[in-house]
Amino acid sequence: MDIKLIITGNGGQGIVFLTRLFAQTAVTLGHSVMVSETHGMSQRGGSVISHLKINGDEAPLILSGTADFMIALEANEAVRNLALLRRAGMVFVNADDGLRSEVGHHLDRLNIKVMRLPASRLALELGSASITNIIMAGFAAAHPAFDIPIKKMTATVEKISKNNAELNLKALETGYQAGRKIFSA
Amino acid sequence: MNSQPILGNEAIAIGIIENGCRVVTAYPGTPSSEILAGVMKHKKRLKRDVYTEWSINEKVAFEIALAASWTGLRAVVTMKQVGLNVASDPLFSAAYTGVKGGFVVISADDPGPHSSQTEQDSRLMALVAKIPVFDPSTPAEAREVIKDAFALSERYKIPVILRPTTRLCHAVQSLSIDGAHEPDDGIPSVKFHRDPPRWTATPKFRNLLHVELNKKLKDIADEFSDSPLNYVVNASSNGTMGIIASGVAFQTAQQALQELGARVPILKIGTPFPLPQKLVNSFCAQFETLIVLEEPDVCIEIQIQDRSHVKGRLDGSVPGAGELTPEVIFLVLSKALSEAGYQVNQPPEDPELAALIKGLPLPVKPPRLCPGCSHRSAFFAMKRTFGPNAIYPGDIGCYTLGTNLRAVDTFVDMGASITMANGFFQANRLVKDERPIVATIGDSTFLHSGVAPLINAVHTGARFVLLILDNHTTAMTGFQPTAANDYLADRMEAPRKVSIPDLVRACGVGYVNVADPYDQEDFIRTLKEAQAHAQSPDGGVAVLIAERPCTLYDQSPILEHPVPVVITEECDGCRYCTEAFECPALVLRPDKSRVDIDYSICVDCGQCIDACHKGFIIPKILEISRA
Repeated sequence: MDIKLIITGNGGQGIVFLTRLFAQTAVTLGHSVMVSETHGMSQRGGSVISHLKINGDEAPLILSGTADFMIALEANEAVRNLALLRRAGMVFVNADDGLRSEVGHHLDRLNIKVMRLPASRLALELGSASITNIIMAGFAAAHPAFDIPIKKMTATVEKISKNNAELNLKALETGYQAGRKIFSA
Repeated sequence: MNSQPILGNEAIAIGIIENGCRVVTAYPGTPSSEILAGVMKHKKRLKRDVYTEWSINEKVAFEIALAASWTGLRAVVTMKQVGLNVASDPLFSAAYTGVKGGFVVISADDPGPHSSQTEQDSRLMALVAKIPVFDPSTPAEAREVIKDAFALSERYKIPVILRPTTRLCHAVQSLSIDGAHEPDDGIPSVKFHRDPPRWTATPKFRNLLHVELNKKLKDIADEFSDSPLNYVVNASSNGTMGIIASGVAFQTAQQALQELGARVPILKIGTPFPLPQKLVNSFCAQFETLIVLEEPDVCIEIQIQDRSHVKGRLDGSVPGAGELTPEVIFLVLSKALSEAGYQVNQPPEDPELAALIKGLPLPVKPPRLCPGCSHRSAFFAMKRTFGPNAIYPGDIGCYTLGTNLRAVDTFVDMGASITMANGFFQANRLVKDERPIVATIGDSTFLHSGVAPLINAVHTGARFVLLILDNHTTAMTGFQPTAANDYLADRMEAPRKVSIPDLVRACGVGYVNVADPYDQEDFIRTLKEAQAHAQSPDGGVAVLIAERPCTLYDQSPILEHPVPVVITEECDGCRYCTEAFECPALVLRPDKSRVDIDYSICVDCGQCIDACHKGFIIPKILEISRA
């Protein structure tokens, strides 16, 4: 397995937690990881982006045009970072509607697939906006091309959650089930 | 091997602890802040007796660690690159006097910059101070190199600098941390011994120490030429071009070569100063063209003796500012390789899509003060009191974001709000500008370097209002304690805490008051009182301490008295609240018809009630009674 993953959204959406969730799971599976996180001033609400390489080189950042996947917690951040994806790359985005129409033709041309889930809405239904990130993790994990088994993700969530493991596990499962339904259709 | 994902700064901390370091001091600053937290975590894990402290500023941190080294213990001081400016006085002196126990100064640079006022290069500071530098390229390397850093420091009795950059500090890499690399030999039996020609060297001895320092550097440069920290990759390839790279740029260059489909030898420099000249000269002699990739400025490049074949920042081949991102390095190498006749691949990024995205009007969300932040309430009251016609010198911290509210007109460096206010007062007197001057500074920054400026202002008769924004913590960098807290690093109880009001009074300030910015009416009244003192015939500097804990750090005051709010039907989208109050939870509808509250981030502070002068933001409890 060799994965280059971009995780993006706004400060406060739990990007660092989501990144650690994938990194920890990959390491548990015996893979090497190299991650670049955003800390400091930009965490006060600005754009936040993580780069994650599983079994890749040791440069912290992913070269634009080579990422396999992107998980975006916000649609505008997905669009802003689209060029990071390689041809036939894949976007998992938390959104009610599709991405801006301007990019549609290019996504078709580059064979980049956009997988959409209204994760913020699902999170509120479960009782907390703060688990949107974990719902998106489960959503991505449900896709056959995304090579990180949900079982291991579940174990990681149990391990790294502080006092809200139950809600987090529910979020992961909700995203996973939603993904299975969408991807099998 | 049981691996874990470890943050770069934590990897550094592990290296510090497992190499028998006994004293670690720091002042927080992005991207360095997590190092000391990591030290506290791993000294517990490995049961090592290590003294750790969040010092009041970088100079203090440096000197406390230096004293430990002069005793014979291994010591580390950590800071960000601009912190090294504050510690530069002892840094330069300690290069001459030398050290006893291994002494490592960790100064984290911020190419970009992402969270700093400059892109300065700590390696250049080391060059000027004549101190050797280690420049690791990954978290794993940073952990390993601490052993070499301590050993070199002790062998040559010289302070050394370890220089990581933001992308290393905030990288996470899988590392095995079971047990420790190095055994614990316990606290060494050492003590401080008098050595007048060294520890109290007068100018006559300083000259001798300088001669000695030059000799040390020459020997170290020779040693570095044979060091395993400096090595060549892709050596067997034939070609006319070679690359010299250090730090994260070394890893990024390898990634770029992979994508370019070119095999080019890279000389990896792990010790950029003093440059291993013998090694560099013999590498350079093999090639017609050499590219130097280093961040954030030129350190290796300027030390290369024959630069006639060198492409780098000096001849403009590498951009002179900004981070060496994968895309920048790809372009630099692509151009140089093509010119040298190599066949290279096109950039993998789709140019059409990239150009389209660049042109899209995507909303840019600048960093903003958090929902419920007491700084916002203080700034709002300040602007309501003094209006657009005052001068607002600001300072370094979360509250620098007051610039969004036009409540911060200047920021220079730590503590400069007070000195700039002092300077504006004196300059304005000459140019007959009578605008009020209202400076803002946070609690940690005030203690770091605001006290001496305040004494200066009092003593020279300056007149302005100083607002000390006391949120009980160092919020921006991750809630490190200040001297005004009743606990220390590691949450141990502090023997004493400093009272900021008492300290301000002791500086000779004639008006000192404390008020809660959440009580807008009272806060504005107090601000007016402070301004009256600043303007009265026997007045002077007036200090108002805005006291309210950081909402991210301590939610209890809001949880005890929540004030949920609603925006009434009458809201006409006038945007006063979104611009003058700028809470992220106040969201203007895309059609600009009205403002809604984003309850997913609203903390129920109720502070925005004052932010609608038309009275359309009301407590929820009133909405129910109105219905």
